[in-house]
Amino acid sequence: MNVHEYISSGILEAYALGELAEQERTAVEKNLALYPELRQELLRIEKTQEKLLRMAALQPRSAVKDQLFIKISQQKPEEKEVQLDTVKVTSFWRFAAAASITLALISSYLAYNYYSKWKDTQHALTDLTEQNQRIAQDYNQVNERLGKIEKSVEVINNPAFKRVIMKGTPHAPEASATVYWNEATKEVYLSIQNMKTLALANQYQLWAIIDGKPVDAGVFDGTDESGLLLHMKEIGSGAAMFAITIEPRGGKPAPTLETMQVAGPV
Amino acid sequence: MLQDVFLKVWDRFELYDSSKGRLFTWLLNVARNQAIDKTRSKEISNERKTRGIENLVNKVERQEYIEQGVDSIGIKEILHGLPEEQQFIVTHLYLKGYTQSELAEEFNIPLGTVKTRLRLAMQQLRKTLGVT
Repeated sequence: MNVHEYISSGILEAYALGELAEQERTAVEKNLALYPELRQELLRIEKTQEKLLRMAALQPRSAVKDQLFIKISQQKPEEKEVQLDTVKVTSFWRFAAAASITLALISSYLAYNYYSKWKDTQHALTDLTEQNQRIAQDYNQVNERLGKIEKSVEVINNPAFKRVIMKGTPHAPEASATVYWNEATKEVYLSIQNMKTLALANQYQLWAIIDGKPVDAGVFDGTDESGLLLHMKEIGSGAAMFAITIEPRGGKPAPTLETMQVAGPV
Repeated sequence: MLQDVFLKVWDRFELYDSSKGRLFTWLLNVARNQAIDKTRSKEISNERKTRGIENLVNKVERQEYIEQGVDSIGIKEILHGLPEEQQFIVTHLYLKGYTQSELAEEFNIPLGTVKTRLRLAMQQLRKTLGVT
C-alpha cells in the first residue's frame, strides 16, 4: 500500500469525523495498526479538529449537569446491571487474551531454552561417546601389550626354552639377537637389539640350521614391538644354529648369506 | 439534545478504545452522530439547516443553556484564512452538521473532491493552529 496516496485521499479526515461505514472503518483501523505513519497523521488531524472545534465550544450551564445526574440516577438499575455484566465479560476476555499471550510468550521462551539445552547436551554426549571409544581402544592396546609382556616374561623365565645368543656379523657388528626355543613344543621366540631399520621392500628372515640345511623360521620387520619377544614360526627338532638375513619382503626359500646380520650356535 | 449526548457517553463509555483515537474525537463522533440522528428523525428542513453559524449560536443562547458565547470571531478569522471552497467544506462539515455524502449530494460536489478539499483545509489549519 502507498501510505502517501492513502493519506492524501482524505480517508483519515473522514475517519476522524466518524463518517465511515463499519466496513471502511474496520479497514482503516487495520491499516492504522500496520503503519505508524498513518497513526501519526491521524493524531495530527484529530488535534487540528480538536483545536478548531474548541474555538467554537459552548460552556453549558451548570443546571445541565444537575439535570444529567438526576437522569442517570433515574435509569433503571437492572439496565445498568446488564451493562456491568457485559463489562465484566469484556474485561474477562481481555484478561484471558492477555493471559494467553503471556503464556504463549513464556512457552516459546521455555521451548527455545530447552531446545538449546537439549542441543548442548547432544553435543556433549557425542564428545563423551567418542572419548569413551578412544579410551576403550587405548585400553585394548595396553591390555594386548600387557599380554605380550606377560608372555615374554614367562618365556624368559621358563627353563624349557633354550636361550641362543646371536652376535653381529661383520655386516652389522653392533646388532645382536636372542632366540628362545622350546624343542619339546617347537615354539620359537626372538628378541632383537640394535638391528637397523629396513627399506619397505625388505624384511629380516630367521633361519634355523637343522642337519646342515637352513630352515625358514619366519620373517619380521624389526621395528615393531621393541623390547618384546617376537613369536616366530615353529621349527622341527635338532637345530644346531640360528641366523638372520635380510631378504625381499615375504622371505625366500633359501637364505642370502651375503646379507647375514647375526648368527649364533645353540 | 445536549443531555442526550451526555447520557449516551455515560452509557457507552466502556466502548471507548484509546488505541483507536483521542477521547475528544470519540466524544465528537458520539455527539455528531446523535445530532444527525435527531435532526433526521425530526425531519428538520434543509432550510433551517443552512442558516449558518450565527443563527445557530443565537438559537442555542436563546434557550438559556449557555453561559459563554462562542468565540465566533476567532474561529471565523481562522476559517477566513482558507480558500473559499475549503472554508465552505469545513464550515458545513464541522459547524453545520453535514455529513460528507450529504454535502456532496446537495451541492453537487463529487465525494472525492469533498474529501481532498477537507484534507487540504486540515493541512492549512494544522499550520494556522500550530499543531505539531
